[in-house]
Amino acid sequence: MADILDILDIEQPGASEITRDSIIHGDKAKKKYVTAKTVRRPEGMHREVFALLYNDNKDLPPLLPTDTGKAYKQTKAKLGMRKVRKWVWAPFTNPARKDNAVFHHWKRASDEAKEYPFAQFNKQVSIPSYSESEYNQFLKSEDWSQAETDHLMDLCQRFDLRFIVIHDRWDRAAFRDRSVEDLKERYYNICAILSKVKTNPWSNSVTMVNGEKRVYHYDAEHERKRKEQLKRLFDRTQEQIDEEQMLLAELKKIEARKRERERKTQDLQKLISRADSGNGIVNNQTSIVNEGANTPTGSTSTIARRHDRKLHKKKLTAQQRPVRTVEAVTVEWSGIKFPEARGAGVWLRSQRMKLPPGVGQRKTKAIEQELRLLNIDIAPTPTEAICKHFNELRSDLALALDLKNALASCEFELQALRHQYEALNPGKTLTIPASICNTNVDAEIKPLGEIIDVVGSPSALNTTI
Amino acid sequence: MSGPNGMLYGGDEIGALVFDPGHHSLRVGYAQEDTPKADIPAVIGVGPATHIPDAEEKVPDGNVTQSATKKDELRYYIDVTELHVPRPNMEVQTYMKDGQIDNWDLFEKMLDYCYSKVIRSPSEHHPALFTEAVWTTRPAREKLAELLFEKYQAPAFFLVKNAVLAAFANGKSTALVVDAGASQTSAIPVIDGYALTSAAARSPLGGDHLASQAKLLLANMHIHMLPLYSIQSKEVIRERERARYTPRILPAGLTSSWQQYMLKRQYEDFVHTVAQVSEMVYDERTAASVPGVHYEFPGGYHQDFGPERFKLTECLFEQTLGAPHLVCAAASACDADARSALWGAVVACGGVACTAGWMERLGKELAARAPSAHRLKTSAPPAHSERRFAAWIGGSILASIGSFQQMWISSQEYDEGGKGQLERKCP
Repeated sequence: MADILDILDIEQPGASEITRDSIIHGDKAKKKYVTAKTVRRPEGMHREVFALLYNDNKDLPPLLPTDTGKAYKQTKAKLGMRKVRKWVWAPFTNPARKDNAVFHHWKRASDEAKEYPFAQFNKQVSIPSYSESEYNQFLKSEDWSQAETDHLMDLCQRFDLRFIVIHDRWDRAAFRDRSVEDLKERYYNICAILSKVKTNPWSNSVTMVNGEKRVYHYDAEHERKRKEQLKRLFDRTQEQIDEEQMLLAELKKIEARKRERERKTQDLQKLISRADSGNGIVNNQTSIVNEGANTPTGSTSTIARRHDRKLHKKKLTAQQRPVRTVEAVTVEWSGIKFPEARGAGVWLRSQRMKLPPGVGQRKTKAIEQELRLLNIDIAPTPTEAICKHFNELRSDLALALDLKNALASCEFELQALRHQYEALNPGKTLTIPASICNTNVDAEIKPLGEIIDVVGSPSALNTTI
Repeated sequence: MSGPNGMLYGGDEIGALVFDPGHHSLRVGYAQEDTPKADIPAVIGVGPATHIPDAEEKVPDGNVTQSATKKDELRYYIDVTELHVPRPNMEVQTYMKDGQIDNWDLFEKMLDYCYSKVIRSPSEHHPALFTEAVWTTRPAREKLAELLFEKYQAPAFFLVKNAVLAAFANGKSTALVVDAGASQTSAIPVIDGYALTSAAARSPLGGDHLASQAKLLLANMHIHMLPLYSIQSKEVIRERERARYTPRILPAGLTSSWQQYMLKRQYEDFVHTVAQVSEMVYDERTAASVPGVHYEFPGGYHQDFGPERFKLTECLFEQTLGAPHLVCAAASACDADARSALWGAVVACGGVACTAGWMERLGKELAARAPSAHRLKTSAPPAHSERRFAAWIGGSILASIGSFQQMWISSQEYDEGGKGQLERKCP
């Protein structure tokens, strides 16, 4: 604005008067906030709510959170008026040193002279000492000379009983090479003897328990054995490790297979026990299944397999009727359980024909396929009777499908066993009795109907469609 | 040093100096600092003192340590600014041999230089901590103590094995230290701050070997490596084109030792830029799939280096001399009880350990070789300078710890007990 006024050579109002105030504040001083008349907070309104409506300059509350507090601002250095405390390069002596050597370090001039603080870390292991006469009297050993023992004690002192380091620094030129265990054995022996002989408990290997001396006893033999084992563990070759790994993996596999088999057998048994109510054909099937449980396949040892095979044969001949241990189990309805129409009010009867959600996609498809084969409408008119029978039919179909699958897997097992048998006993063939062999497709259909009968939908026999 | 609650923390600095002599360079600096003040090549140029520098050589006279007064006196050229200038009749000599100081007269010159040009403070004010190789012989250690106390009047002196310090620099007191240096690679077990000397394993495969391999490689590729000092100017050329440069007029009488030294630096630079360690054992096809690295030679010739750079470093992982084998040998030479702690703390340091991919390869090879009963952990500081100066940094840490101040061999102790106590005091 001022530029335009300049160009047009128009006198700027108020430009001439330059006061100290206008220089310092610029034109800021001219801006005056119109302070609205403060609105009083109505009775009962919370302070926070009121603050949202009316703040000081009547702006809307910001959409984004902003921080205006001092929290994130960098704090300025507070320069006090105190005097700085001087540091001086001062000499000091270290009481941990024996020679009173004087070194220099920085310290505050104001700090009073006190003992060198790091001297307190000067800790030493107490090592037993002995005089010559004591050595001759108590510590003589056939294996160790006194010079060697002295050397050991010296090294123990120097390396604070770090026996691995002591072993490393052992004077091999003067003395014969000794193992770490030898060194430890000798040292702890000396400790034990001296603690018995001497009265003052000097060593850390002696502890006083109830006024009684306890001496650390070092079991050198055990340690040697332990280390030998450790070495052997570390020195295994890659092949050995691989072999071990392989064997462990195999073991795991075998166990997994075993579990899988058991699970399958249980499933099958449950299924059959449901369907079973004393029919001969089903009996035969059950017997196969029972045998199957005892017959491991896969990689178990051949001996076990042969043994089981024998058992299998014996059972096949001797047991026409297998023990029905599963009979006691409540015969469970394995078809489809249609939920009872519940809830008040009106509902469509066709709702009753809806398959419950528990039935899987595959099963639904299979049932529909069967229905098509039987030339039955997939969605018949839902009269009372049709609903009932249609549901029963589908339930039976589901069961039939289950049994069919079970039969197929039994067949497969049987064939697999036969192949195994032939592989193990070349030249022989396993003749499977016709009664348990199910190769005829026609024969399959017929018992199916019977099974359905047997399982018996409660109203199948006495109700006509 | 001590907090308001009476707790002790931090260290106590007493103005100590840390010297870490190596085959490639000598590191020197104040304890408590994180990098050495100077990293000086471990060679000294020895030339006649009468030599008057030519106008074009521009010798900074202030940096000359020994002022030439007499005709037959020798002058010593130390550090790169002095050493890398072509001078007639200047022989390059090293004072190191097999990881130990061998030529004491030369080493004295080096120490003179350190005190006067690097530290710039009289030697009698500063306790000196020296690092040494694990296999340093007793006479060499005693000689060093004697030199420091008698010639340099050091108030205190201490010697520590460099493997121990490298472990300290990595925050460990028990570690299996793999030091891949210039002249050799070594694997040294350290237990509770003591190096196990009898279990240490070493091989002569190091940075120098790598440089000589590079020389061989370039010779096979018919690439002529020119030393940098011999080039006056060069033209910009296309890749793999013949180099066009103007050679520099050199003074007559350059010694072959100096020329060899300068060429070696050049090969080291080549290795440093180009060499990489492949993750697995060298395989032509996988190596070819990695993009190449460009390198321009001093003469101006430049080209991409592809699989060659992986092939070059394979010698470092040679079956019976490479670092993985040394680690296994060192670990199996230790007591069975110590092994699992050592395998759990394999620490790498040294200049060669900075080569790209070296750590990863070591880790892989060790994982394949280490007994499965142990938990293997290899570590190295991520920064290259920390890897190179690991021993020095460890020394810097150690010399500034408050409780270490009682360990120094003071001049009083030396006067009383002589150098014989060195074996006792500096294990």
